[in-house]
Amino acid sequence: MGTITFNAVSKTYGGAGGVRALDNVDFQIGEGEFVALLGPSGCGKSTLLNLLAGFEPLSEGVLTFDGRTISKPGPDRGVVFQEAALLPWLSVWENVVFGPKVQGTPRAVYEAKAREILTIVGLEKFHEALPVQLSGGMRQRVGIARVLVMEPRALLMDEPFGALDAQTRLSMQQLLLEVWQRLKTTVLFVTHDIDEAILLADRVCVMTARPGRITRDIPITLPRPRSLDDLTTADFTRFKAMIMAEMRAGAH
Amino acid sequence: MTVTTAEPRPTAAAAPTGETARLISSRLRSYAAAILLPLTLIILWQLAGKDGSLAGGALPTPDRVWAAWKIWAFGTPTGLSLSPYVGTWAESVLFSAQRVAKGFALAILVGVPLGILIGWSKLAQAMVDPTIQWLRPVPITAWLPISIAIFGIADFGAVFLITIGAFYPIVINTTQGARDVEKNWIRAAQMMGAGKLDILRRIVLPAALPSIFTGLRIGLGIGWTAVIVSEMVAVKSGLGYVLWDAYYVGRMDIVIADMVSIGLVGFLSDWLIVRLEMWVLKWRRLQSFNS
Ligand SMILES: Nc1ncnc2c1ncn2[C@@H]1O[C@H](COP(=O)(O)OP(=O)(O)O)[C@@H](O)[C@H]1O
Ligand SMILES: [Mg+2]
Repeated sequence: MGTITFNAVSKTYGGAGGVRALDNVDFQIGEGEFVALLGPSGCGKSTLLNLLAGFEPLSEGVLTFDGRTISKPGPDRGVVFQEAALLPWLSVWENVVFGPKVQGTPRAVYEAKAREILTIVGLEKFHEALPVQLSGGMRQRVGIARVLVMEPRALLMDEPFGALDAQTRLSMQQLLLEVWQRLKTTVLFVTHDIDEAILLADRVCVMTARPGRITRDIPITLPRPRSLDDLTTADFTRFKAMIMAEMRAGAH
Repeated sequence: MTVTTAEPRPTAAAAPTGETARLISSRLRSYAAAILLPLTLIILWQLAGKDGSLAGGALPTPDRVWAAWKIWAFGTPTGLSLSPYVGTWAESVLFSAQRVAKGFALAILVGVPLGILIGWSKLAQAMVDPTIQWLRPVPITAWLPISIAIFGIADFGAVFLITIGAFYPIVINTTQGARDVEKNWIRAAQMMGAGKLDILRRIVLPAALPSIFTGLRIGLGIGWTAVIVSEMVAVKSGLGYVLWDAYYVGRMDIVIADMVSIGLVGFLSDWLIVRLEMWVLKWRRLQSFNS
């Protein structure tokens, strides 16, 4: 449940002669694995994630999720957007139960679950608030909650904490660690922050631009459960040094 | 959970009493500023008049207009002479307002769904939009003969003209709003399992509401123009009919009172839409308040 396979996948925007954003990508994510996709901006990270989400068609190759070819977006792959992309006219509660509602799930089934998830992300007091009334961090908690409530087989997160200040980012990383350690869903986490990638992931895949490719796949063997304290350990620093060397090499 | 939770941004926090007093006095100041210009004009107009009129009798002074309006609004007809300008004001206003309401409602009923469809579907745009753009330059006055030919001198002729006039701004603004929906809102909805109809109803329509309201306000204004024009020519009741009729019998005081009345009810109906908009688009208001 939740296995992802890229088989010689390429993506060119704007037909032949357009921007070749992904070039012949081979890439797997196993069940329950947390993979961070790390690379400079413009290297094709979002493109890779959008193909997986079903937002964009691919140009060449085969892309499967649990053995099935991806053709369109769906609640089995929960996407967390960079700026949360909440529906601004709906309250926190209505945003979170949007998925179950449009899928025709009975209220009795989703209500308790939505309530529990909102409590886990620390928003039990904000059910009636509108997104504009929340801070950036709280908005992203809603973005995560509305995806968790659907119990997706994979979480696709595109720089979800990229727009947050440093302190809020840390608290969101901790929240994600706690949630993931409980659920063990497959996660593809896009970031350009090396610390974040090492702290969260089982594997860090380094991408380079022109052509967009995954050039290194580094297992992060830090023990679980992890917490923010791991950020300052010697092992952490070792991984960081290695990945920085890798990225520097890729930049030339 | 050891996660620190940021406080939500304060929005409309309860204002302390000093603050409230200042708010009220600034309100009063803005009301005073708003009536200063019309008041000055009315006073000048009054002072410039001689024997109760200006421009050789064409323009009665405000006191005459006021007196005529009082009789038009509150007078009771006496004897056998049935004067049309005694106690019939409210009735005329209601006739016109009711036509505007009907025509406007019809324009919304057609214009909003059509606009959503055109903005959403390339096929609908290709099929319908050119026709709309090509019919749009035809002014409502040009529709009068056809309207009379089809509906006669009757109520529905006016409603028809109002619908046509209000339809264009409503459909065009709705189309614009439906076209400019943020891509990630639609993607998020698809990701959560929303089908095409859900997306139209739950994403595109609410996202287009701010521009729909722009269309409604413009449309309503045109609706008032249309009702006056058609009542002047094609219907025998309402503010437009009275306006033309009073002119014919030389009652310029009534003509002016009628014009002021049109201005007032038009203003009032626009105000209603604005209130509705503020209520429906609370999320939008808070957004601009915060930024
Ligand atoms: N919709 C699009 N149309 C055309 N080019 C695009 C589109 N989206 C992305 N690109 C191009 O593809 C490349 C990769 O972009 P993206 O996947 O967004 O990178 P990243 O997420 O790593 O910053 C960039 O050169 C970008 O300009
Ligand atoms: Mg990106």
